[in-house]
Amino acid sequence: MGLTIDEQTAKDTIVETLKKKKGKSKFYLKDYYKMLPDEKMRDVKKIVNQMVREEVLEYWSSGSTTMIGLKGVGKQATTEEGE
Amino acid sequence: MAFISSGYNPDKPMENRITDIGPKKFDQFYPPVIAKNKGKWLYHEILEPGVLVHVSETGDEVYTVRVGAARLMSITLIREACEIADKHCDGCLRFTTRNNIEFMVDSKDKLEPLKQDLASRKFDAGSYKFPLGGTGAGITNIVHTQGWIHCHTPATDASGTVKATMDVLFDDFQNMRLPAKLRVSMACCLNMCGAVHCSDIAILGYHRKPPMIDHEYLNKMCEIPLAVAACPTAAIKPSKTELPDGTKVNTVAVNADRCMYCGNCYTMCPSMPLADTEGDGIVLMAGGKISNRISAPKFSKCVVAFIPNEQPRWPTMTATIKRMVEAYANDANKYERLGDWAERIGWEKFFEKCEIEFTHHLIDDFRDAAYYTWRQTTQFKF
Amino acid sequence: MAKHETPLIDQLESGPWPSFVSDLKLEAASRAKNENGIDYQIPVDVCDDLLGVLELSYKHGRTHWKHGGIVGVFGYGGGVIGRYCDQPEMFPGVAHFHTMRVNQPSGKYYTTKFLNDLMNIWELRGSGMTNMHGATGDIVLLGTTTPQLEEIFFDLTHKMNTDLGGSGSNLRTPSCCLGTSRCEYACYDTQELCHSMTQEYQDELHRPAFPYKFKFKFDGCPNCCVAAIARSDLSFVGTWRDDIRIDQEAVKAYVGGELKPNAGAHAGRNWGPFDIQKEVIGLCPTGCMRYEGGKLEINTPECTRCMHCINVMPRALRVGLDKGVTILCGAKAPIVDGAQIGTLLVPFMKIEEPYDEVHALIEKVWDYWMEEGKNRERVGELIKRNGMQKMLEKCDLKALPQHVQEPRSNPYIFWKEEEVPGGFQRDVNEFRKYHQR
Repeated sequence: MGLTIDEQTAKDTIVETLKKKKGKSKFYLKDYYKMLPDEKMRDVKKIVNQMVREEVLEYWSSGSTTMIGLKGVGKQATTEEGE
Repeated sequence: MAFISSGYNPDKPMENRITDIGPKKFDQFYPPVIAKNKGKWLYHEILEPGVLVHVSETGDEVYTVRVGAARLMSITLIREACEIADKHCDGCLRFTTRNNIEFMVDSKDKLEPLKQDLASRKFDAGSYKFPLGGTGAGITNIVHTQGWIHCHTPATDASGTVKATMDVLFDDFQNMRLPAKLRVSMACCLNMCGAVHCSDIAILGYHRKPPMIDHEYLNKMCEIPLAVAACPTAAIKPSKTELPDGTKVNTVAVNADRCMYCGNCYTMCPSMPLADTEGDGIVLMAGGKISNRISAPKFSKCVVAFIPNEQPRWPTMTATIKRMVEAYANDANKYERLGDWAERIGWEKFFEKCEIEFTHHLIDDFRDAAYYTWRQTTQFKF
Repeated sequence: MAKHETPLIDQLESGPWPSFVSDLKLEAASRAKNENGIDYQIPVDVCDDLLGVLELSYKHGRTHWKHGGIVGVFGYGGGVIGRYCDQPEMFPGVAHFHTMRVNQPSGKYYTTKFLNDLMNIWELRGSGMTNMHGATGDIVLLGTTTPQLEEIFFDLTHKMNTDLGGSGSNLRTPSCCLGTSRCEYACYDTQELCHSMTQEYQDELHRPAFPYKFKFKFDGCPNCCVAAIARSDLSFVGTWRDDIRIDQEAVKAYVGGELKPNAGAHAGRNWGPFDIQKEVIGLCPTGCMRYEGGKLEINTPECTRCMHCINVMPRALRVGLDKGVTILCGAKAPIVDGAQIGTLLVPFMKIEEPYDEVHALIEKVWDYWMEEGKNRERVGELIKRNGMQKMLEKCDLKALPQHVQEPRSNPYIFWKEEEVPGGFQRDVNEFRKYHQR
């Protein structure tokens, strides 16, 4: 078990991949598996959730499904501000 | 208002944070008679509508009084229920899967004062706070969803349709005259947070118009690829349009023929609102069940394609439901669930006996499963 | 004096059934009066504005809520549903009106102390309106503002020793019937198994792990009071393998009219005297029962455990002693490919702590679904797409005739190469030695 690459490299790969995506800021968990294709899905899930705790990523929930993107990025972020 | 901190420090969210503890363990909440007799129950009996006794091999008995309640419930009312439980039930109570409340006492002499207390409590405007019932071969509480009280994609209200229906069916909440139990469920759109697909009678909110598109704002408020991906039938495509002032904007186009009016795009993109006064209303379904008793569990079938929203009391809808219940009560054999009855007499007779008009909308045309619902025999009734 | 005129929804105050409108007004009045001098952390008139916005929906026939996807508590992907009113100037009290799902204790028993403590938090920090309970089983706290979410979560975990429930692509809050705690039909301790699975899979419950939602439900017997078979991706339904226990004296008492049949469930109508031939023997779906010479016989190998005879004569008949669960998979509501009732996966499994066999099965299902499920595809839809054979293979289960209603009626069997002697690779030249071109 555990990542085959070091944790920081995995996190950097995720952030860089997300920054390259244009016009779309949120992704399903399965999309993250593809960013680290050589890793076990459970390990990718763990690192993604870890990055949420570190406030690099954030969840977006439709209520029935969850998407994940870079924190504060995306058009919904602005519509939901002003609490 | 002065902000009262719980102890949470927004600058250090992880400080003293407790997570992943789950719910409290259930056995801390047992009334003593339940704790003592768990796993030892021999049999039960419904003494009268809303009142059950369970008898244990230890000789102990627990008397349960079941009362209906609106799923939408205030803390004031919950505190009142707690006050009753403190007075009669040693500070314990439970809720059922179908939003009823159960008050339990450990001896028969405590039963009558509890029943009277519960039955006597009414709201100022006259409805019961804690009506006894919901047992046996009758109609219990309706499980439902949020509707206009809290949801962003409902095609009708949930609490209101339920209140209107339960008022009409109230006698059968407090009686056990039906051939078998009859379960009514309500979901306010086809996403069915309230999973009504296996109920004897299901009230389903339904939209009939594809979403509107707020072209001017769509690309400012929504990410187009996400709106496109939200659609379960691939009816949404990226597109471009020209606003009246000549500005060209990126937006989306909806293929109306493919749209199933689920509202998933609106969840993802607030520039695609779905709700419509004339478009929205009610579908009625019937004949589903979840129990394995006698016959296998089965799906509810659509029996009325559309009834307009007639808030605040939905009279056409409640009258149709009432007709179904009465036809079933009069015609079904003892132990037959509504769906078993409809299958025995034939669905063609169901429509006749319930005085419901059959329309072309009720013939399935969605994917492969549709074929198996058409008739492939010369056996039918005129 | 009410803040908003509500002539339409006022019409839902009459009639016998408990009126949610009356109840909302009760809460609005209680907040306005504020007898206990509470420093409300969200607008005092939140319930007035909720009545107001609901009245507007009744006037328009349209909802006035918008979805919010970002709000939540730190590090959790579920448990909070964001809501905003689309008329915030008219109804500032409900401009932000988020829901929190609180994981209910298994079986939904409560002490008044627990409920009162919870209500105190919700009175201070929320609207004072709840759902007892939501469709999945959670206690739903309906309506608060974003800054209060973390405060409520902190109070819940620190003061109440209680956690949030699931939403989104998470394991949803598991739920169960009351099981052996107050039901003689229950074939296993549903509350214990439900609680244990809830605790075991806290990470999956709070953080998105799956292509879509995933539900467990636990029914104690085939009567299925929590609808596990219709509403959960993995349904655990209590059952047994040995004889139904018969008390012949009690059977006679039912026949003789001394005991009330159906535990009194049909007492609202005069159905005539109890007729065991017609009402029990004749309705048994397998015809495996016989009542002759004052003795009831059940041919156990033919019995499919439908519960009918037990429901009719609970004092005479009891479920067997070799108990466990039947596990079904894939039930779901219709979106998008149509509704599904659970499909039989494991005919029988013993339920014994520490539930290793249950865990092993759950994790195999999850591994398969995480690997091959598409985004927003429920397990049931994956099974339909890839076939039941594949599901059994992935769960290391042997195919049994119990798995089907009937065998396939088409012969289009797709053989795997390794199943056919010699495999698919053949030598055409060797073939041509005996067959001309």
